[in-house]
Amino acid sequence: MNLKEQIALVDKIREHLKKVMDPELNINVVDLGLIYDVSLIEENAVEIVMTLTTPGCPLHDSIIGGVKHCVLELEEIDHADIQLVWEPAWSPEKMTEAGLKAIGR
Amino acid sequence: MIVKNTGSETNIKLPFSFIFFSILALLISQFLILLNGDAFINGHFRIPAIWSAAHLFILGWALMIAMGAMYQLVPVAFLTPIWNEKFGFIQFAVTTIGVVSFAIALYIIPSKALIPGIIMLMGIVMFLIQMGMTLRKQAKPNILTLFVGSALVCLFLTIILGISLVISMKTGFASNYYSILFHSHLLLGISGWFTLLIFGFSYKMAPMFSLSHGYEMKLAKYVYSIYVTGLLSILLSFIFNFSWLFKCGFFLLLIGFSCFIWHIYLILKKRVKKKLDLPFRFALLAIIFGEMIHLLAFIASISNQFPSFAAPLIVAYIMLWIAFSIIGYLYKIVPFLWWTHKYSHVIGKKDVPALKDMINERLALPIFLSFIFGILLVSMSIALNGQMLFYIGQLLVTAASIVFGIAILAVIKK
Repeated sequence: MNLKEQIALVDKIREHLKKVMDPELNINVVDLGLIYDVSLIEENAVEIVMTLTTPGCPLHDSIIGGVKHCVLELEEIDHADIQLVWEPAWSPEKMTEAGLKAIGR
Repeated sequence: MIVKNTGSETNIKLPFSFIFFSILALLISQFLILLNGDAFINGHFRIPAIWSAAHLFILGWALMIAMGAMYQLVPVAFLTPIWNEKFGFIQFAVTTIGVVSFAIALYIIPSKALIPGIIMLMGIVMFLIQMGMTLRKQAKPNILTLFVGSALVCLFLTIILGISLVISMKTGFASNYYSILFHSHLLLGISGWFTLLIFGFSYKMAPMFSLSHGYEMKLAKYVYSIYVTGLLSILLSFIFNFSWLFKCGFFLLLIGFSCFIWHIYLILKKRVKKKLDLPFRFALLAIIFGEMIHLLAFIASISNQFPSFAAPLIVAYIMLWIAFSIIGYLYKIVPFLWWTHKYSHVIGKKDVPALKDMINERLALPIFLSFIFGILLVSMSIALNGQMLFYIGQLLVTAASIVFGIAILAVIKK
């Protein structure tokens, strides 16, 4: 896979991750700014670095599991490694314009 | 820092067992109050039927719901799984038997309430062991641990005092201290256990439901120290009979509560979510009611009128602050519980409903308004000795409780 194809796949993964919704806010994890990094570690393996809005988020396990299921749905991906980080902490500035609009800002 | 998956979700059957039982207890307690309207409006709170209804409401509804909610919230808020789920189910069974038999004993033969009371005590002690062991495993205790931990200590003392009261009634033991035991039981039960618990979890839930960010938590330390000092001051005033200590205590409770309301306001000012959900706004309204009742209690104490207003103030405190907080938060927690059970494993695979679609939000407004007007009418009926006002008010509260129960139960059909 050349660089152009890798970039296209990362974009596809990011777009696909919009299927994962935070059920409390009803905004997807990408527009909410939870996905910090998507990188291909091997041809069919992806590493996703993400956070949550708060460390004690009750939807902790559900959202992380959802992100994993979602990327594994793609036929190009066989393995997904989800890294949950608290640094840098999530802030509203990380939300996309669509996310802010959905929340009424 | 990379964080491992917590795997801290509790078996849903555990919190739901508590929630289902509590709804039943709420309905029965409201019917009992409705059927004993005469005694209620005449201020005869110390009769078996009212005792039974009050304990069913406080223990069967509010305490059981707080326990159920804690089985769910403690693991997620403190990032540690419940110590022993099997023990939790046994605790549920023991507490249920205790609460039901205690309420029946109070209604029929109050002098035989000791054994049921001890069973209930065992259930609550088991809960305290469960929570103590769970909180002990928390990697980094914080101010919320202090609020919740202190609330649990107050619960333990409340129950010990309650059992002492039953023993005193039966045997005459410590009868000279009955009044101290009784007042301390009330203070630690409602202002110690419930208020500190609601403070603690509000600090977790208010920012979560409003998506607040970048707020300070320093004020929480002052809220805790001032409020707890107020509780200690009132407790000491019961023992030493110092009226200045009593007044000072109510002043500190008012200041502590005011700091809490100010802190919540500052947190909400930093919110990202512009429009807050109705159930959450209802829980916020409960804080305003709480502040008003603390102010009235302080005024009553400095004007030496507290004994005359104690009963309506306590009823208002339990209903408008404690019950409204629980009702508002429960409207948010139950859909989350069922959603996690049903959709947590399919998120990312297929479309899942939003949490607000899990419960009938259109019912929220009529339910909340009925509770507010119903309780106001009941309070007025006590003050004015008005029978008709009482029945209209209590019918509204009972009807709201039924619809609330149906709305909560309907979640599991989603």
